[in-house]
Amino acid sequence: MLAMRLVTAAVCVFVALPLAWLVYAAFLPAEALLRANIATFGFSLENFAGLAGSGLWRAMGVSFVASGLAVLGQVVFGLGAAYAIRNGARLLGLVLVLLALPTELLLVPLYRQLQTLSLIDTLGALVVPFLASPLVVFLLLQALRRLPWELVEAARLDGAGEVTIVARVVAPILRPEMLAASVLAFAAHWNLVLYPRVMTSEALWTVQVFLTELLRTRPFEWGLLGAAALVASSPILVLYIVFEKRIVATFEAGFRS
Amino acid sequence: MRSHRHAWLLATPAALVFVAFSLVPLVSVVRFATWRWSGTAEPVPVGAANLLRALGDQAMWQSLGTTVLFAALALPAFLTLSLVVALAIEGLRVERFVKALLFAPGLVTVGGSAIAWYLLYNPDFGLMVELTGLRLPWTTQSGAALVYVVLFTLWQQTGYGVLVVSAALRGIPREVKEAARIDGANEREVRRLVVLPLLKPTLTFLTIVGTVLALQSYTAVFLLTRGGPFGSTRVIGYYVYETAFERFQLGYGAALTLFVLLVTLVVALMQARLLVGRTARGAT
Repeated sequence: MLAMRLVTAAVCVFVALPLAWLVYAAFLPAEALLRANIATFGFSLENFAGLAGSGLWRAMGVSFVASGLAVLGQVVFGLGAAYAIRNGARLLGLVLVLLALPTELLLVPLYRQLQTLSLIDTLGALVVPFLASPLVVFLLLQALRRLPWELVEAARLDGAGEVTIVARVVAPILRPEMLAASVLAFAAHWNLVLYPRVMTSEALWTVQVFLTELLRTRPFEWGLLGAAALVASSPILVLYIVFEKRIVATFEAGFRS
Repeated sequence: MRSHRHAWLLATPAALVFVAFSLVPLVSVVRFATWRWSGTAEPVPVGAANLLRALGDQAMWQSLGTTVLFAALALPAFLTLSLVVALAIEGLRVERFVKALLFAPGLVTVGGSAIAWYLLYNPDFGLMVELTGLRLPWTTQSGAALVYVVLFTLWQQTGYGVLVVSAALRGIPREVKEAARIDGANEREVRRLVVLPLLKPTLTFLTIVGTVLALQSYTAVFLLTRGGPFGSTRVIGYYVYETAFERFQLGYGAALTLFVLLVTLVVALMQARLLVGRTARGAT
């Protein structure tokens, strides 16, 4: 047991080190770097101020709009699909296959598909292919299977239509799971790197594309890089801190069954 | 007879997206593989030329080998660490803290993670070399570069593995362990003879996830090494990206995609057989 705890401690240090240094560098005053003395302690927000003209805020805007719209589609359409599968639609096989097939593996044929649809270098390229996600369908289906089905049948007896049932009966009960799925879906879309890099040009750079370009063009500006990385991560961090318990619960429930 | 017969209609939007942006690309990649195509100009059909070229392409076979090596390094480490950490923290007061910490790299977004590692381990002016003088050779030595990408991947993914194993551990009824203890088993024996066998399905699941992750390791490669030095970290997925979108040979990229899909399929079938074999043996 001691050996296992030591390994765990080592893993924790290994994981924490880059994170701690990233935060530290982001708040490091520029003169500490000029004197090449990184042991200088100091706190400064100048790195964040220095991001003003860098294009980060524009990229943040693009990412917010694209990821937001994609997640909205994934949850709404995902709920519909999960409900249909729960009612006997034969889609589960397709969903499971797609679960193992990442979008970025299909970059080349997707490029042609977007070209055919005139979506290359448009906001649509970042949104339309991501309007449905097999993972979200899967998670919501797991949640639906735990839902007491009498509720749906009672609503049917009352003469409610299927859309009304999904919107008024199912969705309110599944709100926690939908929320958790949204956070996971948002993070997944926010984290795309190669896809947006290939499908759009500079005006539509997402936050990840911006970060990789910043690392390439200004590799010596530690503080600026650290600050940009923190700003780019902030939406995910906030979402996770607010919904941590919910996400872990949904996640664990999804894998227990 | 009633309206819920129409419930399947609610699957239409999602199904349309899946068909248009997953199934159609998946099928049409076969056609694109027969094109000479730069991405901008109209494609020219060249028949089987791309596929024949792929078979004789040294760089492709090398990248396939790199992918296998990557998986052989990353997968056992991923499984072992997930298992060891999850067992070590089970029921401790630090359990929630450790899980949150190990999950944190997933929150620093991939681009931010690349920056974090760069600031720490860059051999020219990273914190590591400044503080300790230890100049990590991952930008110049092939083996070190691959290990570096493996470590980065473990750094990103171990939290996920721990979470999955931990969820499975919680699913093991207390009575099962109690019974073993009453029969005189010590803690180590309980873990080895009771808990571990019960975790087998979870570990199989993680193996499958891990294999998929290994085939997808190209994002980490793009962020950290861009395939270098000397192509030593050019996993197959990255080779596809590089061919199609850095050298603008999308037709050949499609042929390589086809190859990657075939490899994925073979691996998936092998794993399915593994799963079936295990279940069959377990039943006897």
